[in-house]
Amino acid sequence: MGCAKLFRHAAAMLVRRVLLPALLLGPGMPAMAAELVVIVSAKSPVTALRADQVAAIFLGQSARFPDGVEAVPLDQPLGAPLRDAFYLRVTNKTPPLLKAWWSKMVFTGRGQPPAEAADSTAVRRRVADHPDMLGYIDRAALDPSVRAVLVVQ
Amino acid sequence: MQHPISGRQLAATLLALGLTAGAGAHAADGSGAPTSLSSDLSRSLSVSGFGTVGLVHSSERHADFTSSVLKNNGAGASERWSADVDTRLGLQLDLALSKRWSAVLQVVSEQDLDNSYRPRVEWANIKYQATPELALRIGRMALPMFLAAEYRKVGYVYPWVRPPVEGYGALPFTSSDGVDANYHWRLGTVHNVSQVFYGHADVALQAPLRAYGRRIAGLANTSDWGALSLRASLIEAEATSAIGGQLFDALAAFGPAGSALASRYAIDHKRISVASLGLNYDPGRWFAMAEASRTRSRSLLGATRSVYASAGWRQGAFTPYLSWSRVRAASPTADPGLPLDGLAPALAGQAAALNGALAGMLATIPQQTSTSAGLRWDLHTDMAAKLQYDRVTPQGGSRGTLINQTPGFASGRTTHVVSVALDFVY
Repeated sequence: MGCAKLFRHAAAMLVRRVLLPALLLGPGMPAMAAELVVIVSAKSPVTALRADQVAAIFLGQSARFPDGVEAVPLDQPLGAPLRDAFYLRVTNKTPPLLKAWWSKMVFTGRGQPPAEAADSTAVRRRVADHPDMLGYIDRAALDPSVRAVLVVQ
Repeated sequence: MQHPISGRQLAATLLALGLTAGAGAHAADGSGAPTSLSSDLSRSLSVSGFGTVGLVHSSERHADFTSSVLKNNGAGASERWSADVDTRLGLQLDLALSKRWSAVLQVVSEQDLDNSYRPRVEWANIKYQATPELALRIGRMALPMFLAAEYRKVGYVYPWVRPPVEGYGALPFTSSDGVDANYHWRLGTVHNVSQVFYGHADVALQAPLRAYGRRIAGLANTSDWGALSLRASLIEAEATSAIGGQLFDALAAFGPAGSALASRYAIDHKRISVASLGLNYDPGRWFAMAEASRTRSRSLLGATRSVYASAGWRQGAFTPYLSWSRVRAASPTADPGLPLDGLAPALAGQAAALNGALAGMLATIPQQTSTSAGLRWDLHTDMAAKLQYDRVTPQGGSRGTLINQTPGFASGRTTHVVSVALDFVY
């Protein structure tokens, strides 16, 4: 690889990996326009959750809803903008920080990351069928089969 | 801990685990998000791993800088640039057998005291999740020490090239065979995990030397409150090793004074303890952490106190950080040794030589201060490059955490260390 080509490659990498994420995550810039809602099945007795309670369940720190019933988190796919926005707003973790968190959990035998479903519709369907599940979807994908327990701004 | 195993044994173990997983199991894809146990999936095998490719340069020509006492050499006297200080590869298999039972096998390859990269079994345990809060494990697992001891080999997880060597580098035991219980509990918005451990360890040092830890009892508690994490741990064990055996036999031949020295310093059924208290505050845009620890033993391992503090700022994909770290002996690092008065000249010469050998051993009790500055660059969500500069100063006649010192080595001289590392998880 020629010197100029190497330099161009490095510059492109810098813009893509550093400057763009820095701009996107900068203060005052909404990372995502979509409104996110955290959902449980309409059959679940849970009516509302705080952001810290949702964060604890998605980070593997708690395996129960506040009322004591077991809770199983369901994620959006790795790389989905909705997923990155959810973790940034609810846990203050960027994708690399979230990856570091789960690497710590996995490589110390403390737990495995949540299972994933393909998109908001798939998450809504699985959560609707499983009263122990907790998911997050685009507000536009809400329907009566699930209940929004937290609106993530 | 860490019994060296042959490649054939390793392959057989991996194959056996693969077969146990059965036809219904599937390996997770390479996305780095292992398929986890959920309510409608009873069995799964996930394959994951971690690694570091590192290169270290040290300005010291009369000793090696390295990351652990369990290394054969490092950068400095042995080689100007060393890839052996931080380079390693780890593979982990997680097998979920049912909603409650799971098993984990972690194998790590890195330079050891015999200068080989023979893979060692770091973890091999079976977990029973009795309730969502209570987990019981049996098998080989990491000792519950310090903030970062359990994941010290996974470079991607922490900001630095390596955890501060003043606290972490001196640990001869990092995992052990036994049983433990982990209990999650909540106090308001504070999430706690309390752990009790009991077991034993057997670690190969330079052949044929070994170190044994018996009746290892440990207690640890981690409290997370939002971005704040606090961890306290205490480990006690009875350690035995033949390190310095010839010296102690020779000392004992000099009568009661020699026998007293031998029983004072030999690692023969000696109680050792390690206590630590660590604090980590990480709201995302920046982090700060500090940890203090002390080790105690009435042996040539001595007693030490160590402390470090580190802070960094995350600017997009870049995380510049600064650290300061120190270890001090909390027990005498010099001993008058055998009295030479009244000995025949030939015997006095021998006794003086033995006193010199004992002084050399006590100089290995680490006393050192380091200041470090570094930069982490997250290239990707599963890969980070790091550049770090350390100013390492062994003090008080000690060699600090350096190894393989030659006669030209002088305590008190500052060593400049530059490290580059590429950490990844998969």
